[in-house]
Amino acid sequence: MTKNTKLNSADPGYQYQSGMTRRDSLKLLAALAASTMLPLLAGCEKPAGNAAPAVPATAAKTGEHWPDLKLTPVGNKGYGKDPNLIMPPKSPWPLTMTAAQLTLLAIVADILIPRDGQVPAASEVNVPAVVDEWISAPYERQQQDRPVILAALTWLDDEATMRYQAIFAKLTPAQRLTIIDDIAYNNEQTPQQFKRIANAFSHLRGLVVAAFFATPEGTKDIGYVGNVPIAGDYPGPTPEAYAHLDKVLAELGLSAFAYKA
Amino acid sequence: MSNFEAEVLVVGSGAGGAMAAYELTKAGRKVLLLEAGRDYDPKAETPMFKRNGEAPLMGAGNSDKDFGFYDATVDGGWQVPDEPYTSAENSEFLWWRARMLGGRTNHWGRYSLRFSEHDFKGKSRDGLGADWPFEYNDIAPWYDKTEALVGVCGTNTGLDDMPPSPEGVLQPPPLPRIPELFVAAAAKKLGIPTAPMHRAVLTRPLDSRAACFYATPCGHGCSIGAAFQTTTSLIPMAKATGNLQVLTNAMVKSVDVDDKGNVVGLSYIDKKTATEHKLTAKVVILAASACESARLLLNSKSAKHPNGLANSSGQVGKNIMDSTGANFGAMVPALQGRPIYNEDGHTANHLFIPWWGHQAQAKKELKFPRGYHFELGGRFSEPGASIDTSLQGYGKDLKKQVKNKYGAYVHFALRGEMVPNEHCYMDIDPSVKDKWGIPVPRFHWKWSEHELNQVEHGLQTAKAILTEMGATVGELPTPEQAILKGGQIIHEVGTTRMGASPKDSVTNQWGQTWDCPNLFVMDGGVFASNPHKNCTLTIMTLAMRNSAWLAEQLAAGSLMKGAV
Repeated sequence: MTKNTKLNSADPGYQYQSGMTRRDSLKLLAALAASTMLPLLAGCEKPAGNAAPAVPATAAKTGEHWPDLKLTPVGNKGYGKDPNLIMPPKSPWPLTMTAAQLTLLAIVADILIPRDGQVPAASEVNVPAVVDEWISAPYERQQQDRPVILAALTWLDDEATMRYQAIFAKLTPAQRLTIIDDIAYNNEQTPQQFKRIANAFSHLRGLVVAAFFATPEGTKDIGYVGNVPIAGDYPGPTPEAYAHLDKVLAELGLSAFAYKA
Repeated sequence: MSNFEAEVLVVGSGAGGAMAAYELTKAGRKVLLLEAGRDYDPKAETPMFKRNGEAPLMGAGNSDKDFGFYDATVDGGWQVPDEPYTSAENSEFLWWRARMLGGRTNHWGRYSLRFSEHDFKGKSRDGLGADWPFEYNDIAPWYDKTEALVGVCGTNTGLDDMPPSPEGVLQPPPLPRIPELFVAAAAKKLGIPTAPMHRAVLTRPLDSRAACFYATPCGHGCSIGAAFQTTTSLIPMAKATGNLQVLTNAMVKSVDVDDKGNVVGLSYIDKKTATEHKLTAKVVILAASACESARLLLNSKSAKHPNGLANSSGQVGKNIMDSTGANFGAMVPALQGRPIYNEDGHTANHLFIPWWGHQAQAKKELKFPRGYHFELGGRFSEPGASIDTSLQGYGKDLKKQVKNKYGAYVHFALRGEMVPNEHCYMDIDPSVKDKWGIPVPRFHWKWSEHELNQVEHGLQTAKAILTEMGATVGELPTPEQAILKGGQIIHEVGTTRMGASPKDSVTNQWGQTWDCPNLFVMDGGVFASNPHKNCTLTIMTLAMRNSAWLAEQLAAGSLMKGAV
């Protein structure tokens, strides 16, 4: 359990290690225990490791392919209908992602949300651990998300292997981006062979983004300043906020209809 | 229980039951309050200032905690373990319960709008449903007292839909926020008013309760008592009289009668020991929630009451009404990138859109008979588990999209009045029982054209306002797609409705059952109609008025003379 501090997620050979800022060590221990023993329990017959993809490698642009994951339900119990809300459960259910999956997820999460000056990258605030908790949860929505997220991760390794004969984590940052650029824009121009992965990637991105902004660092980054006690009356909008509204109302021809108490 | 002889048994500790207990104990009556759920102390148990990121799944809702991890509801939600309910074929109805002291008042939205004379006399106006057996003027003084006791912020607007409170009753409302002010201007251009919402949230201290400090969603509960819930107000106040005893984990099974069919008490299951017990008293008050109280009556069959207790009219379980619900929203480009400030406020509507169509309905210009209001959403809320799959790209550009969208989405939640219909009712499932051996309700449900036409109007109105705001609004869903399920707004009422005649109602105007003079209903079951304005304030107001009347009858010894 030595912490690798030299490599960041852009470097080949990087391994994701859950930091200890967001949750305490109990959770990390649970994650490690789960990641060393759970590939079989999770029923993932095709680990997101070094297994060769079923489809043979072609040119840099590959055809459509999709991993055939045989997942069994997580079989965990939820936290029940009367959890302690003051001290939320730290490790509400066993985590199911492998170390390799978490490392891949951390690399992708940091492509999505890289370090930005003083604002940390996604992996630095434990976004992979939150995603792991999410897809390991026994509830309906999360169990619908689980095959989507795991398939997206496995697809990235398959695609990397087809293009570069190495899993995604072993690619150079530039190689990684050639793949991400093909799947990160989900619109009418998305090539047919990438439509399915672009959809799955949109889901993964949404989850990573939510997990990032729900951290203290992310919440500060987005600018949320509430949930602090205010003495006296609610102060209402700032002068800047009122001025902006006045401008908007003027532009839309609504100034004459401005609200008066 | 030793040395405490209750004169009145109250079933349920939510809005109706706690108010009944408060009013009766204040009048010197000994009350035993039974609650099917566990004891609950908001001072110790409310997750104040907690962040979504500290909760499992970023606080997201799931089948254990339907409204999110921090929602105050204990042992409840759309499903309660070991306590099922069923829906008839082609019906879907959702039944929310909370198994905790204070019931659903621990998490409710606190919207507290008075019904008006217009609301009480719908049938006289359009021939649909039922009138209430009193005038607005009869109940107005009780609204005054309830608002003063509960603590409601808001203003007198002079609008048709909002009867005024006397000077000094309402507390000042918080200032409106930018998205609300924007909606207000766009709506006004279309001739649609906006007004400060009335909410049971203190903006000034009251009794031992503090004023709101504008942090932590009210649905989590409120440890300082600013957001009204019976566990920080009516129940401790009633206990302080020395006349109240509370029995938690007591699941009432039936109301008991003697050989002559007179109500003598009730039977309950102590959930801790799974044993059945009997209690006797002069008076039984049911305030277990509309559907739970109707279930109790229908399950209390005897030789003298073969169709269930207090059911000579056959109306018990009939006439269930929920509020209609539909949600519609859009990204408003003009709000993108606007200056950020603390928009939590009291964490719900500061402004809303009250029903404005009274005159149009009178002139028969609308295709639906009853009104609705809009609750307005959209602000700089705390980040959590809302997953946006429409984002594109990665890196700096991705973050820019997220920040641009933040606080720029405006949302309309329609809440409308439904007309009771013969397809919406509950009966007792002939084969399913809960863990305690109590037969469970079976729900029957179908919206009528009145509700669908109303929702269609609402969708078009929301689109028109959003369009004035410069938003691009796509194709509207059909009303069938947009209308939420029966029960989903959690305003289910009407199952034991009050009326002017024992032929077509279950209770008189005092909530006293026509058939059994010492049996009362004081929850939403007594509603003769379900105006769009959220039921809790009126449940509390009726419970206060009717308990005061009951106390007078007990003092005069005139209760058993029969219903009047």
